[in-house]
Amino acid sequence: MNLIRFRFWFQIVAFVLIVYGGYASLDLGDKLPTFACVFNSEGTGGKCYIGMLQHDLKNPFEIFTGFAGYAFLISLIMFMVWFWVLNKSWCGFVCPLGTMQDWLTALREKLKIRFSEYSWASRSNIKSIKYILLILLLIIPVMISNSIFGLPKLPNGLSMPFCDICPGRMLIPAFTGNFNQFYIDFSSKTDLVMTTLGMIIVGLFLVGSFIKKRFFCYFCPMAALQYIFSKPALLKLYKDGTKCTKCGDCYRACDMDILEIADDITNKNLVTEDCILCLKCVAACPEDGCLEANFTGITIFESTKEGFILRMAMNKQKESHE
Amino acid sequence: MSNINYNIESPKEKQNRHKAMEAIKLLNTLREDFKTPIKSMEYFYDLFERVHCKHESLHDGKTKIGTMCIQIPSEIIYALDGVPVRLCNGFYTDDEIGSDLMPQKACPLIKATVGHFASGNFTDKPDIVFSPTTCDQKTKAGTTIESFGYKLIDVDFPRTKESEASREYWRRSVKQFAVELSKFQGKKLNRTDLRNAIKKIGYAQSLYHKLSEFRKKEIIPILGLDVFLVTNAFFFDKIDNWIEATEKLISELEIRAKEKITVAGKASPRIIYTGSPPIFPNYKIPQIIEESDGIIVADETCSSNRMFNDMVAVDEWNIYDMMDSISDKYLKACTCPIFTKNEDRIRRVVQLVKEYKADGVIYQAFAGCTVYEMEQRSVLEAMEKEGIPILYLESDYSPSQGGQLSTRVEAFIESLKTRRRKKK
Repeated sequence: MNLIRFRFWFQIVAFVLIVYGGYASLDLGDKLPTFACVFNSEGTGGKCYIGMLQHDLKNPFEIFTGFAGYAFLISLIMFMVWFWVLNKSWCGFVCPLGTMQDWLTALREKLKIRFSEYSWASRSNIKSIKYILLILLLIIPVMISNSIFGLPKLPNGLSMPFCDICPGRMLIPAFTGNFNQFYIDFSSKTDLVMTTLGMIIVGLFLVGSFIKKRFFCYFCPMAALQYIFSKPALLKLYKDGTKCTKCGDCYRACDMDILEIADDITNKNLVTEDCILCLKCVAACPEDGCLEANFTGITIFESTKEGFILRMAMNKQKESHE
Repeated sequence: MSNINYNIESPKEKQNRHKAMEAIKLLNTLREDFKTPIKSMEYFYDLFERVHCKHESLHDGKTKIGTMCIQIPSEIIYALDGVPVRLCNGFYTDDEIGSDLMPQKACPLIKATVGHFASGNFTDKPDIVFSPTTCDQKTKAGTTIESFGYKLIDVDFPRTKESEASREYWRRSVKQFAVELSKFQGKKLNRTDLRNAIKKIGYAQSLYHKLSEFRKKEIIPILGLDVFLVTNAFFFDKIDNWIEATEKLISELEIRAKEKITVAGKASPRIIYTGSPPIFPNYKIPQIIEESDGIIVADETCSSNRMFNDMVAVDEWNIYDMMDSISDKYLKACTCPIFTKNEDRIRRVVQLVKEYKADGVIYQAFAGCTVYEMEQRSVLEAMEKEGIPILYLESDYSPSQGGQLSTRVEAFIESLKTRRRKKK
């Protein structure tokens, strides 16, 4: 099967389930490792764990010593279990924000506009931003009811700091015709700053992902949180370095510009921090059995020379005219 | 006085006669000296005979774009209505002409190529030549060739391939090359033509890969020598004819594989050939190997495997991405010894040994081909570590060396046979 087409349709199905599933009473819970937006209250088929996590953390420390502590741990485990099934494929196949970016990429490609790339130096510099965002979104809610290092407590308006700036809050409800999230809140200074930031980021998201493939994913704190738990996941991307010719086809296909996929010939597990497990690299690899997607020890998709030739439509002599 | 006309042979006639002799000698050997000949190889024997003995031109009326190494993208040449003709030369006759123009210790391939240009005696004379700055000798030979009055353009090629800078540098060089050629041809590069060219060459490459599959099997239906001839024909043949002939060859091999017809002996050791490229008619070493009961199952040379192995992989079929994919193909996977590091080449040879279940490796370097001579040490060390027997040979284009070389090759092949028996 053609992976690119399979993924295109899979993403549409996943998008429909997550953005409109609620209308058919679908509820996958509130520990999803993907951006299923709580602000899309009627349509959403589940809820994003990042929102839940921030919400939980704003409680005072004392609460976590009791039952709430267990509840918190159970939520975290639930999140991990969801995540382990698909590993980072949640990003490459399910995430509605990711899918929106891929649609913008497709539009750009149709318009024959070249994509832009980071230089290798900037590419590695921006890697840390997602971790900084993750730490901030974890610490800010904690500081609402707790005073850390004697610092003053933060206002309640910051209980979901990442949601304030997350483009999903505005864009996902917009797909159900709800544009109410596009606003700037003048009620307090905190809200003013956060909602303005949110509006700016949504603009950046749209422009950025039009010119740079998966622009937002480079900074996504969900990706950072996921990566912490990625090792035991069931779905894996494996590489057999001895078969690699370092031709770089995989790197060129990679929307996340991950150099290791082409240059690392020693590690077997190639799910790196920014990997979205879209498996485009496997489809682009011309060497038999060099890259493979592996689920619980079973190869489910493997690079082959024949497959490569088919996907590049080099299998027969045919001239196309446009 | 008698009325017989005494014609004094002109230098050009002499060159043609000598080259025809070199060519026909090899072709006759290929036609007659090996068991179970392949019928569809006749196209290729005949092609070389037509070009080198009968001096037929193949591309009358077309613009011929001369290339000096594998790094000049044929995809772009075809997309701009040119015909790529690779001018790397294997004739001793031309080597001798070139010797007067090049340093004594220069590589015979370069000397022969320069000699060929100096004589100006082409069946398909290139209208313009693009010379990538690969090894020192090729790079410098460009100016010598230019001095004979050819239009020659250098195409900057980096000597490292790991860095971001080298990738960018080469992408710009390829773009510049396309601009120059487009100007020369008076045609703009368009998306449809480039895509068709990529697919056509990709298809030709896929045929090479099919051909290689037969050589992985236990029963080998085709000689390494024949495969070198097929891949060498790709240097200059009309691509559609080449494709048709290779398709026929593959269908015949399918039948041979079914009927278990082999070209090898009972215990012929399987050899991987690497090093300086065998270019028609300099098949000296491969010929010695296969006449000494060895069988070449795969190679790592720029006249064969390296030219076909890697295909262009495009993500977005627009000109910008096709151009980048083409550039990357000619740089990133290339295992040319001119690069600073050679781990990729070593890994490729080891991988070939495993994939083709080879018994040993024969590494040939042309005397004067500094880069291959220099890489010899590290490759030998690596093979020793892997437990792969390897023989290193130095040779040139002269026909006189035969005896000494064949003794060494025969001894190596015997040792491989003994090794195999002991394993059992």
